Amino acid sequence: MNDPRFTHVGPLVVACLRITDLRPEVDPLTGAVARDAQGNGLSAADAAALELSLRIAGVWSGRVVALAVGPPAIDPVLRDVAALGVTVLRVSPETVDPDRGYAAELADDEQRLARTIVASLVPYGPPDLIVCGDRSTDRGTGALPAFLAHQLGAVQALGLVALTPDDTVTGGGRALIAERRLDAGWRERLGVPLPAVCSVEGAGVRLRRASLGGALTAAAAPVPVNGISPADRPEREEAIPAVRIGPTRVFEPRARVLPAPESTDPRVRLLALTGALVAHDPPTVIGPVGPSEAADELMAFLVRHGYLDPTDPEQAGTSGKGTGR
Amino acid sequence: MAEPTMADAPGPESAEFDAVVVGAGPAGSAAALALARAGRSVVMVERGPFPGSKNVYGGVVYGRVLDAIIPNWWEDVPVERWVVRRSTMMMTESQSLSIDYRTGAWGTAPYNGMTTVRSRFDTWLAAKATEAGARLLTSTVATGLLRDGDGRVVGVRTDRDHAELRSRVVVACDGVNSFLAKEAGLLPQSEASHYTLGVKEVLSLPREVIDERFGVQGHEGVDIEILGCTRGIPGGGFLYTNTDTVSVGVVASLPHLAEARIRPEELIADLKEHPSIAPYLRGSSLREYAAHLIPEGGYDTMPPLATDGMMLAGDSAAMTLAAGMWLEGVNFAIASGYAAGQAVDRAVASGDCTASGLASYRADLERQFVLVDHKRLRKAPALVLSDRVQQRYPGLLCDLAEGMFTVVNPAPKPGGLRVTRNAAAKHGVKLRELAADTLRGLRIFG
Amino acid sequence: MATVDFRVGARAHITVDSEVCRSCTTSACVTACPANLFAPTSDGGILFNYEECFECGTCYMVCNSEGAITWTYPDGGQGVVFHHG
Repeated sequence: MNDPRFTHVGPLVVACLRITDLRPEVDPLTGAVARDAQGNGLSAADAAALELSLRIAGVWSGRVVALAVGPPAIDPVLRDVAALGVTVLRVSPETVDPDRGYAAELADDEQRLARTIVASLVPYGPPDLIVCGDRSTDRGTGALPAFLAHQLGAVQALGLVALTPDDTVTGGGRALIAERRLDAGWRERLGVPLPAVCSVEGAGVRLRRASLGGALTAAAAPVPVNGISPADRPEREEAIPAVRIGPTRVFEPRARVLPAPESTDPRVRLLALTGALVAHDPPTVIGPVGPSEAADELMAFLVRHGYLDPTDPEQAGTSGKGTGR
Repeated sequence: MAEPTMADAPGPESAEFDAVVVGAGPAGSAAALALARAGRSVVMVERGPFPGSKNVYGGVVYGRVLDAIIPNWWEDVPVERWVVRRSTMMMTESQSLSIDYRTGAWGTAPYNGMTTVRSRFDTWLAAKATEAGARLLTSTVATGLLRDGDGRVVGVRTDRDHAELRSRVVVACDGVNSFLAKEAGLLPQSEASHYTLGVKEVLSLPREVIDERFGVQGHEGVDIEILGCTRGIPGGGFLYTNTDTVSVGVVASLPHLAEARIRPEELIADLKEHPSIAPYLRGSSLREYAAHLIPEGGYDTMPPLATDGMMLAGDSAAMTLAAGMWLEGVNFAIASGYAAGQAVDRAVASGDCTASGLASYRADLERQFVLVDHKRLRKAPALVLSDRVQQRYPGLLCDLAEGMFTVVNPAPKPGGLRVTRNAAAKHGVKLRELAADTLRGLRIFG
Repeated sequence: MATVDFRVGARAHITVDSEVCRSCTTSACVTACPANLFAPTSDGGILFNYEECFECGTCYMVCNSEGAITWTYPDGGQGVVFHHG
């Protein structure tokens, strides 16, 4: 076979994109959402996913396949992606579910969507890395990367701000180093083995521009639509039950019944109801202190208010262990 | 492949096209369509993400020009409404006087004019060109001209890695700011007096409300052109209906606007509050705000249309007609673009792409309405934008109407001449000037 | 302005030479720009934004000082996108 799709050279990096109208118009009265194909584009997160895919594949001398589920209206955006020298693939939503059009792409059944995507990638060989944006602009749940990882038996690292090849790995192996935000400006650094599914934030990188030659070539080229036959179309798999969302309602906590104040004097009743003259401990601000001091303060507070008995040997034992929790 | 781009690959950028068309607006798409139909290799370079994304217009696309180019164009054109009611309104702060024309004939094929949305209309026209075989390159700016040793234009430089697109002819349809025409020395770098600024608000209104307020139904639409709404700054206003939006805007002469130190959005706000306009817009919400320059210098400010290896069409050649009664541009762009494409085809066939080889373009336009209209109305911009027409006549005419129609009994009705004399005196217009301008108008428009 | 689609590029397509502006008496760009992108500073210079530019060209056309405002198109695909033009 001369089809370049099937000659797998080097690792395969897949950028899994969600192309949609970035500025849909919402009718303020009815809430109806009007999508315009001309607003179609890559979200910042998807652009970052594509750029990181290109960079990683560049270091690894690998290939990039960019994939998106959607109608033919997203082809112009995929053509712009193809101009970067990327193999593109559009998965038709009918493949996911022929009976339901647009909704089937969405949160509705992302497990099934993930299986369709994995099945569509079969002709390209097993992916070593799938990079997604960490959120879609049109109400996705953000669960697709996890489902993809499950389908592929790959590890997952989600919501990343940086993703680079791990150049300390030797002996022909490959791995990635990922960074994720923590509070207070801290980052956690993760070692990610392959195969992996990663989702990245739309921050820190800008998608490169295609060369003139690439853009000219792509402008005239058709966008391939996935060719998996209906027989290969994944059916609903009952063995792994999908999460179903039942009818929802507003959370209404049950009212707590308090005994009525006993006095007949309205002023006393009012005071009793509001607790105006009852002494309260003012809130105490402790710190900043280290974890162990904070734990000791908490324990002392509980002892002071009679929740803990320091003489009870069993309870006293937990006080020592509890520091790290 | 370390960098998965095709920058180093011997791609089509080294190939030579018969023509590079800069800009995929109405002029560019028409030029590319003509060339593609003639079997020439042509690429359109569009700086926006899609054709029409940078474009704004002021109301009506007159489709007659499309008849010869796209048979039965009205069957698939992205129309908002077909204009069946056309109104010219003169106003002062509190008065207005309208000439209102309406005909059902404009509401059936082959139609007269339509309102549309440029992002859809321009995309539609560009698609006609690509279906015929032209290539469309979006999100790409043509940053400069390529010239050979003799100074002939032989292509453009793009902002994609500064890569070059070589061609026998460059058709610059790059709009009112045409930096390519400026680089070629065909347009002055900056000549504010030849330009007006158009600002426009698109306002959402339910379709039924538009039908009711403007007295139309189905796909029928209304176009109102307004004079005297710009606080004395030479210009005008417009209001027209789309399917479920209305567009309202003003046009103001650039140097006068700058001198008056009035913000353009204040002019729109004035117009929207005018007692003749406000009832149309009540309860609407803003959908989009836009601004664009318009070349309104007319025939006498038109640049040379061709030089060696390059020609201009549409706004870059100042082909808009802003002559009070007529406000047209898209139709001139389409006609000039198509003629430019045909001229390039002839020039390539003859092997002479110099200015003289491309001269058949101008000759062709001089036979068509494009230059005939512009030539006939060459003095119209000066008259329409003149002090008297802009500042005094709207008030004069409104007061005339007020004098005629106000019932003053028990005092006897004043005679027409007295009303005219009073109104003219109030607005500082001498009857001699009025007669002279009437004569001048008759000479220009008659 | 919130209703308009601006795709902001990394490069500023407008530059203003405030040295030239200090000798300007009209500051026409400040009022004429329909996007209100230009603001005078106390030292006679001009502060400008490029992010919400309509790309009309008014600023450099009305500017009376040679070379004060340099205005080019934003990079391909960036800048204003009109959906209802």
